[in-house]
Amino acid sequence: MYLPQPWIALLVAGLVLGSPPVAAQAPPEPPAVGKECGEARFGDRPLPNSAAALQQRKRIKILAIGASSTAVLGIGRNGNPPLLERILERTIKGLDVEIINRGFSGELADAAGERLRIEVALNQPDIVLWQVGTNDALAHVPVDTFELSVGNTVRWLKGHNIDLILVGLHYNKRLAKDTHYQAIRMSLRRIATEANVLRIGRYEAMEVLARTTATNGRPELEDFGLTEAGFNCMAQYIARTITVGLFAKPPKHAPVPDPGK
Amino acid sequence: MPREANAVDFWRGFALVSIFINHVPGIYYERLTHRNLSISDSAELFVFLAGWSLGLLVGGGRNGAAPLAFRLGGRSVQIYAAHILISGLALALLAGAAHLMENSLILEWHNAAAFFQEPARTQMGIVLLTHQLGYFDILPLYVVLMLVAPAFVIIDRFARPLLVPLSLVLYFASLTVPFTAPTWPVEGNWFFNPFTWQAIFVLGFALSRDEGLGRFVRSNITWIRYVAAPIVFVAAILVWFNWFPDPTKLPEPRLLFLNGKSFLTPMRLIQFLALAAVFSAAYPAIARFLPWLTEPLSLLGRNSLNVFCVGSLLSLSGQIVRSLYEGSFVVDTIVVIAGVGLLWLTAWMSEWRQRLGQQS
Repeated sequence: MYLPQPWIALLVAGLVLGSPPVAAQAPPEPPAVGKECGEARFGDRPLPNSAAALQQRKRIKILAIGASSTAVLGIGRNGNPPLLERILERTIKGLDVEIINRGFSGELADAAGERLRIEVALNQPDIVLWQVGTNDALAHVPVDTFELSVGNTVRWLKGHNIDLILVGLHYNKRLAKDTHYQAIRMSLRRIATEANVLRIGRYEAMEVLARTTATNGRPELEDFGLTEAGFNCMAQYIARTITVGLFAKPPKHAPVPDPGK
Repeated sequence: MPREANAVDFWRGFALVSIFINHVPGIYYERLTHRNLSISDSAELFVFLAGWSLGLLVGGGRNGAAPLAFRLGGRSVQIYAAHILISGLALALLAGAAHLMENSLILEWHNAAAFFQEPARTQMGIVLLTHQLGYFDILPLYVVLMLVAPAFVIIDRFARPLLVPLSLVLYFASLTVPFTAPTWPVEGNWFFNPFTWQAIFVLGFALSRDEGLGRFVRSNITWIRYVAAPIVFVAAILVWFNWFPDPTKLPEPRLLFLNGKSFLTPMRLIQFLALAAVFSAAYPAIARFLPWLTEPLSLLGRNSLNVFCVGSLLSLSGQIVRSLYEGSFVVDTIVVIAGVGLLWLTAWMSEWRQRLGQQS
């Protein structure tokens, strides 16, 4: 059928203008997490600032910092973006995800906190994905020092309306009885609860998975969190958490996102 | 015969000991190093003195350009070889510790995770200097600076007034654009941005010379110290009380105003130069009243590459010891005493070997 050019222009304009903002669409089905990743449950808190960014720009910027980012972003081979980015873009139609990878394996919370502030100032991310705790625990950083350092950074991020997802300590069976390791783990959990920020309980997830595999008669996946399969599982968990958080209704007391950001 | 104790070797030795201590995070004695009262730390001092030493090596311009370039290139290869060696040893140390402690999380330390997860590409990255282990990232900068050093020397010889301005143009361009050297295979940036850190190396070089900027500073050092002292004092207060501005509230380009080590931001560079101006006056008094301190630190400074390499491995060993035995004041004291003692032994053996070579 022939349509004169002005009609085509109007039709295109109507389609574009008529497209509802991404966040106004029905929430997508959160991405599935592979069976091999176990059935650990993570928080479903909203990510209000990122949801606003999604609505306004159809784009979210994620700053990955702390320990090795591969462990949370998943593997991206042959020039492909990391798994987390691929899952998010596949799940939420029209979403453009930019991941700024500033992970540095082995970095302690204090140094990461300092670097984080600078990276936030330079890159203005919507979400900060911070892996923290394992190295401080292994380096025997005192718990109060750790708590002060992480707490300050968490408060600073909240004060700047940046959504934060904390990714907690790794699981290792031999560290289950290490009092300092466990104290740092509890400290991080406390910080997350008090500040009401999302925390991915990697330790708990991997512990459950290790137990499940052991009871099924297979060798215990003690270091699953340090394998490629483990990294991809974490990416799946985080993608699910972010998707849920982007479309969850903010509680009434939630801070109003800064529209200028 | 090794040269006598002097200010450059002394402060280099001081920087090496500080780096050794600061590279054992969480150790009690890190609160005693000068970075607790200074925006800049030992890294700035180390690179500045490397530039200064280049100035002394080049001398009054008697050497021909080709032999000099050959010599500096040789030095660069020597530093590169040292870096590759200690990186390999560090990875083996981490692997050994992980095995001994039955804790594979140790393999994650210091950006080593990529090597154990993806050895083929990461090994290439190590050789290409695009993958650097944490705390083992200053030698790659030094390699690059020594590779470019012949260009600095040639500009100094034929267009001296242009050397520092050109260096500062590159420095400010890197801060304002901004740009830096990328890492691979792990996406990221060099910890020490070579485009900004070259500035402190070139300033060290230029200030060591008897002409140009070096002569100007020497003839005006008294009033320069009057200006520098308040800067050092105010910086100490800022650091002590952590009174730094919120980086998100700073005007663009933010790197010109914030405190960032990777980019050697102006705040750090200016504070370091002020610190150098003030403390350059201290060496004669230290040498007079504390000779027991100047001799061993100068010994370390004279053998800086060997000492730095051993110190890097000792810092890593110190971290492993602290993880094994749970850091406490006693463990930390043993780590520091043993570490500094081994640094001294490394320097002494280096000179002993040189003496043997001269005798035979």
